[in-house]
Amino acid sequence: MSTRERFQQTMGDVRTAPAVELRGVSHLYGRRETAVRALDNVDVQFATGSWTAVMGPSGSGKSTLLHCAAGLERVTEGQVIIAGQDISAASDAELTELRRGPVGFVFQSFNLIASLTAAQNVAMPLRLAGRRPGRQEVHGALAAVGLADRARHRPRELSGGQQQRVAVARAMVTRPAVLFADEPTGALDTRAARSLLDLLRSMVDHNGQTIVMVTHDPAAAATADRVLFLRDGRLVDRLERPSARAVADLLASWDA
Amino acid sequence: MLRLSWSTFRDRWQVFIGAIVTVALGVALVQSSLLTLISAATARVPAGLSSAEAHRVRDGRDGALALLGNTLGLATFVAVFIVSSTFAFTVVQRYRELALLRLVGASRRQVRRLLFGEALLLGLVGSGLGVLAGLPVMRLQVWLLIRLDLLPDGFTSAWRTWVIGASVGAGVLIAVCGVAAASGRAARVRPLAALREAGGDARLMTVSRWLLGVVFLGGGIALLVIVPHVGPDAAIAMALCSCIVLVVAVAAFTPLLLPAASLLPRLFAVGPLGRLAHANLRADTRRGAATAAPIIVLFTFVIGMAGSLGTLGAAARHETASGLRADLVVTANQEMTARLAAVDGVAVVSEETPVAFDLGSVEDGKMTYESSDGLSVSPAEYGRTHRLAPRSGDLADLHGDTVAVLGSHWDVGDVLRTRIAGTPRDLRVVARYPATISGPQFLLPAGLGVERTDSRRYTIQVASGAFAAAVADRLRDAGLGRDGTVDTAAGWVRHEASDRQRVNTNVMVGLLALAMVYTVVAMVNAVVVAASSRGREFATARLSGLTRTQVIRMALWESTALVAVGLFLGGLTASATILSLVGAVQRIVGVTIVSVPWTLIGAVALGSLAVVGMTSVLTALAATRTPPVRLAGTRE
Repeated sequence: MSTRERFQQTMGDVRTAPAVELRGVSHLYGRRETAVRALDNVDVQFATGSWTAVMGPSGSGKSTLLHCAAGLERVTEGQVIIAGQDISAASDAELTELRRGPVGFVFQSFNLIASLTAAQNVAMPLRLAGRRPGRQEVHGALAAVGLADRARHRPRELSGGQQQRVAVARAMVTRPAVLFADEPTGALDTRAARSLLDLLRSMVDHNGQTIVMVTHDPAAAATADRVLFLRDGRLVDRLERPSARAVADLLASWDA
Repeated sequence: MLRLSWSTFRDRWQVFIGAIVTVALGVALVQSSLLTLISAATARVPAGLSSAEAHRVRDGRDGALALLGNTLGLATFVAVFIVSSTFAFTVVQRYRELALLRLVGASRRQVRRLLFGEALLLGLVGSGLGVLAGLPVMRLQVWLLIRLDLLPDGFTSAWRTWVIGASVGAGVLIAVCGVAAASGRAARVRPLAALREAGGDARLMTVSRWLLGVVFLGGGIALLVIVPHVGPDAAIAMALCSCIVLVVAVAAFTPLLLPAASLLPRLFAVGPLGRLAHANLRADTRRGAATAAPIIVLFTFVIGMAGSLGTLGAAARHETASGLRADLVVTANQEMTARLAAVDGVAVVSEETPVAFDLGSVEDGKMTYESSDGLSVSPAEYGRTHRLAPRSGDLADLHGDTVAVLGSHWDVGDVLRTRIAGTPRDLRVVARYPATISGPQFLLPAGLGVERTDSRRYTIQVASGAFAAAVADRLRDAGLGRDGTVDTAAGWVRHEASDRQRVNTNVMVGLLALAMVYTVVAMVNAVVVAASSRGREFATARLSGLTRTQVIRMALWESTALVAVGLFLGGLTASATILSLVGAVQRIVGVTIVSVPWTLIGAVALGSLAVVGMTSVLTALAATRTPPVRLAGTRE
């Protein structure tokens, strides 16, 4: 995919529906008197095949945004539409189906099941969906993240960067419409972080994967197609095709 | 899902060890009790025994059957109880892992199936070990029952191959019942919990927990209210039953009771360590409740049963002593009324012979007979050496085909269909007395030809002006002591009471030893499992300036406080049971008698303190082996 094509996709093609859309989403924590408005009437679209980074200071609601968009947290007001389906009132079973199909996750803590090998971890979502995963499928997913030779290793025998790659392979094995990543490089050293970001970049460029990522690392955000800035539960700014410098400058301006 | 169950099981077997041992122990006991029960029930009384001996064999066997039945029930109950508390705790510990499964697409049903799969594996492994362990356990059990005179010498319990099926079934059932509650909790884990630091923030007092507590508390109170109104035989069984029911209620309410109960050790929480330990105890109610539960069970059973049996024993002694108007008691194997009466200073001799007869009842149009105990007496003399107050009728009419009943539903004029020495006899009720604790239930006239089951007993009143001791000496001088024993009335009552007490103690030891082994396993398990997740907490404490010794002292303080809390709550539960039995005794004997087994309580308290204290010191030592900096940042 050329830069130009990517640019077009990033700007949002009017003919393709967004992979995820939030319409007037608010989320309140706590009870009536002491309620905290973590998200305040947020409208945002995440275009198919685009990589969006969400940034903001601690407590700005960026994780809540991710959780609401992924159906992990119920919205107090508004609608969340994933792959054309409104999930704001979905049942637990429907949300489970969502996690088995159109939605994948990667988190800061790698969240692998310690008792299973890398291959078994990757196969888990397919097994949970009642499918018997083929060797090829699982190995393909592991090979795609560069860990074809680590299939039989347990998480504790892998480095942090490798564990996070297994987590990516596990998320991608179901071919999700959108991959949600919450601080995926937060627990990695700079080299492992760089190589993970390159991996995500190539998934977007070559397979048209949609990624929504929360981060507070300007370098990580700069790898994305666009950056959204959140403050006190509201979208306050955005950058298209940002550089790390631009992101850092904008963050600094918000801190001032 | 079974594959995942297997891999978690393989990975976390340490956590499950306690539960496996519990299941294995439960299965071994169920299997051994079942085999012995069947062998004992089907065993014939050997031919060629005198009727007295045969009666004793039958009596002992009835006792053995009752004990084995109780063992079966108690073993199953305690096993389910311990396995369920183990699983409840592992679910909390695995909150993040379960949430993670939900995150990658597991449905609620799959999470539930995962836990049931683990329980199934645990049940299979546990029952496999249990079937093997059942063989030595059976030998031990038979040996014990023979030692306790409940089974005849040379009794063997036959192996039956089908029992393997029953054992494995029991093991799996125990494990699956144990996991039922925990699986519900696990299914409610939200996927987002995988991202939280502490997952165990869910409510402790769930609706089902409330429901369980309220239902069992209600049932327990109902039993306690009924206990004083049933006969003495049913009272003790129901008291034990109420112990079990109440302990479930208390265990369900422990998360609520623990903060209040831990005010007690608060009084002794001196210094920063004590205060920190106390704060830990209050903060992590779940861990506290899991550790305290087996301690509560142990104390409830030990105090409740020993107290109940002790109270009943003391009441029986009081009853026998106050009902006796005699000065001397002679036990002999010969008929010697005339010889005793001839001795100078003897005023009244009442011969009382324990007898057995068959009491008939019509069941499904057929007459069935059941062996019953009675006392064969001469009414006039018996009336003089005992204090008797009939509800109705008169003992003087006790001659011919008649009977006097104590504490039964028959009334004067009713006819008892019996079989005496093989021939059917209809006995007319001539007098009715209130129930007694120590028996007998039936008084039969001498000369009815009923089979004797034990030595004859002569209660003797000395003439006014004569000294009982002098008369006793004369009885011995007359050679009457050679064929039997001469005792003062008070001495005889004491001997009788201690005999009964010994049988009771034997039965209690048989049952309580079992409960103790179980609860010790559970206590160790709870402490080990709890400590396994505290590495980080200990590390944080050390980073804040505590030395390793201080961390260990803190852990020790916590376990001491938990034993105290367990003793308090268990004692409370047991007191309710004992009090209801005191009510029962009060209705029968008319006197308030309480017996509290202080020595036993002290011994068990010290024993649990040693077990829990040692385990927590060892686990704290193990948990603090790694330098704190490396642990403080990691997740469990």
